[in-house]
Amino acid sequence: MTGARLIVGPFNRVEGDLEVHLDVEDGRVRAARVNAPLYRGFERMLLGRPASDALTLTPRICGICSISQSAAAARALAAAGGHTPAPQGAAMAALIHAVENVSDHLFHFNLFFMPDFARPAYADRPWHPRAVERFTSGAGTAQRAAIEARAALLHILGTLAGKWPHTLAIQPGGVTRAPGPRDKVRIMATLTAFRRYLEGTLFGAPLEAFAALETRAALMRWAQGDAGLFLEIAADLDLDALGRGAGRYLSFGAYPLADGYGFAPGIWRAGGLSPLDLGGMVEDVSHAWMLGGAAHPAAGKTLPDDEMRETAYSWCKAPRLGGLGYETGALARQVVAGHPLARDLAGGGVLARVAGRLLDLARTQILMEDLVRALDPGAAFMDPAPEIRDGAGAGLVEAARGALGHWLRVESGRIAAYQIVAPTTWNFSPRDASGAPGPLEAALEGAPVAPGEDTPLSVQHIVRSFDPCMVCTVH
Amino acid sequence: MAEIETFYEVMRRQGITRRSFMKYCSLTAAALGLGPAFVPKIAHAMETKPRTPVIWVHGLECTCCSESFIRSAHPLAKDVVLSMISLDYDDTLMAAAGHAAEAALEDTIEKYKGNYILAVEGNPPLNEDGMFCIIGGKPFVEQLRHAAEHAKAIISWGACASYGCVQAAAPNPTRATPVHKVITDKPIIKVPGCPPIAEVMTGVITYMLTFDRMPDLDRQGRPKMFYSQRIHDKCYRRPHFDAGQFVENWDDEYARKGYCLYKMGCKGPTTYNACSTVRWNEGVSFPIQSGHGCIGCSEDGFWDQGSFYDRLTTIKQFGIEATADQIGFTAAGAVGAGIVAHVAASALKRAQKKSQDAAKKEEV
Repeated sequence: MTGARLIVGPFNRVEGDLEVHLDVEDGRVRAARVNAPLYRGFERMLLGRPASDALTLTPRICGICSISQSAAAARALAAAGGHTPAPQGAAMAALIHAVENVSDHLFHFNLFFMPDFARPAYADRPWHPRAVERFTSGAGTAQRAAIEARAALLHILGTLAGKWPHTLAIQPGGVTRAPGPRDKVRIMATLTAFRRYLEGTLFGAPLEAFAALETRAALMRWAQGDAGLFLEIAADLDLDALGRGAGRYLSFGAYPLADGYGFAPGIWRAGGLSPLDLGGMVEDVSHAWMLGGAAHPAAGKTLPDDEMRETAYSWCKAPRLGGLGYETGALARQVVAGHPLARDLAGGGVLARVAGRLLDLARTQILMEDLVRALDPGAAFMDPAPEIRDGAGAGLVEAARGALGHWLRVESGRIAAYQIVAPTTWNFSPRDASGAPGPLEAALEGAPVAPGEDTPLSVQHIVRSFDPCMVCTVH
Repeated sequence: MAEIETFYEVMRRQGITRRSFMKYCSLTAAALGLGPAFVPKIAHAMETKPRTPVIWVHGLECTCCSESFIRSAHPLAKDVVLSMISLDYDDTLMAAAGHAAEAALEDTIEKYKGNYILAVEGNPPLNEDGMFCIIGGKPFVEQLRHAAEHAKAIISWGACASYGCVQAAAPNPTRATPVHKVITDKPIIKVPGCPPIAEVMTGVITYMLTFDRMPDLDRQGRPKMFYSQRIHDKCYRRPHFDAGQFVENWDDEYARKGYCLYKMGCKGPTTYNACSTVRWNEGVSFPIQSGHGCIGCSEDGFWDQGSFYDRLTTIKQFGIEATADQIGFTAAGAVGAGIVAHVAASALKRAQKKSQDAAKKEEV
């Protein structure tokens, strides 16, 4: 199987459409090119509209992480107007956002990632019968439990955000819904029930015990719950070595509150942390079907290349910071926030990304409970922002899948420029002008391909370990 | 055509008990507004009829419709419907990947020719020969046409498939086009909303599977059982509208009292949907209940009707000539008279609607 070329796609159990082109040599992936084959043109629709339209339009980029888009749009509008939301409003916006992030993690683990281990190809492994029982697509017992737990958790979004997907409650000045004392009790009850599910099923032990793990070795000894099953599989298949990253991580900082972030922002590179500085950020379009040169998103444009020129291969632009690609997501968030386990996992592959997500899930549940405990029904939840005539600003948030940025410029009350860079834009970016591959493309290099495989399992594990959201990638 | 199992057999195979099955039948009857007498009918239909295969395809969209669908109110209802339609082909949820998935689609089309329902989420972009949405190396519009050719009927899920929704918002960069403008020779049922309410989705599909026919549709092709009333008609804040009590600013004193959001740009008075009765996320709430006006997401072209925070200027209240502004100042002193006038106005509206309906029938 020397010199074979494979096109893998369409991918299922990822949000949106994705194709991966692989050059295979001697049973290994030599090079990979990732194509986002879907383009809708949100950034162009936004131009000329009233600034506040961004709050309604941008969530429709994605039905899975619509609140992340809401939150980013609200923060971009607040930044453009120099406005600060009411502290309790910011706390409720954080809670709404955290609920969505947590439910995304839960869904990814149970419905998108784990079912691959129930495939017949693994029938000879000792854990296979349990994987089949828990995670067979559409019928696994873990899947049903996860769907039910998640639907119950989303009652919080019903209460605070009116509806999900696509809420309207998050505004630049806070949130439209002022929860009363009764809501506070009800939300806490829902969170407690969700904790019971997490501790009974997913982790099989108190969340605090998982959040207290400090090393990879300690993690691999965790045997309880579905997390334990995953770790057993990960050890057996050596998922740590599969699809390793470059060890460069980016986080915009999650859950900004009046007194700081829930998880701090920053950049992790060469084993060290530096503050988040996006001055050196560009979106490279050398291999994207986009026109115009590389530009900072504040000055960027989205001009699709109708010719779909030969030298390019994706609708996705390639964001780079100081000339380098960065991985973003739950693992990056926890590495940057300084969690010892995440830092011990840094640079790892499939195992690190999935374990990072579980860690983020456990810690975010604890954070949500703290937010509700501090909820003050008597406080103001909105400090209404005046309409913006002219201004520019960036809304930087952490979606479930990582760093999401909206860059906005308003002129005479209308949107004059709007650029969105989603987490998967970073992770699944094509090559840049120097030929350097994006994080997924790099992680795929060296992945084993068994003879006769046209959709290699190793490739599927690596792709899904990033939890891609393709509709956000190219919007 | 291959032998197909009955709904009941499928459910039993999925581990659903007889008792749960009967419970599901009564829930369904209630959701569809049918009396208890229909419960045994539904049960009988499901025990004897072969299940209807469903192919679910995705074009330009955000998957919010699937997201809504899989968390409908009663976990059982969702389980049953999911196992019932079993989504013979679904991009997002199915197990297979890559070429195996494409083969599954072909198999399903071949196996159930002329007998399956095609559920479409999202829409095809037509610019650049459809190159803005590629599935399995081909433009989505080709997959759609191919799958539609042998379908019995088509469900357009959500505002995207029904009207174009957000990707068709001006200037519609990709020329995203609703399904009924591409497929013109099949019965199409529109279930608009961004996304549609989960219970509306399961209700529509259950009705079609149970009774083997389309529900009654309005002129726009929407099922009447869910889209015949405005949000405004059943809004729990309606008494405040009628009393002229309005929220003037976000989180003001009136907002905390739950006054009407009309002045904050609520589009409830012009939007036909079931949000104010069925509600969202298992009946917990809906946008107006969370303090934000309705944006009219189940109406055609709602993206391009000006700001979402502009007040509707055409809504009459009480009498024929007063708008909400005037009422807001005068209501306190004239509540008694207002109620009388309102009743009169409503009666007049009903009369108008009747004559419009009659005129419509004559046209047909």
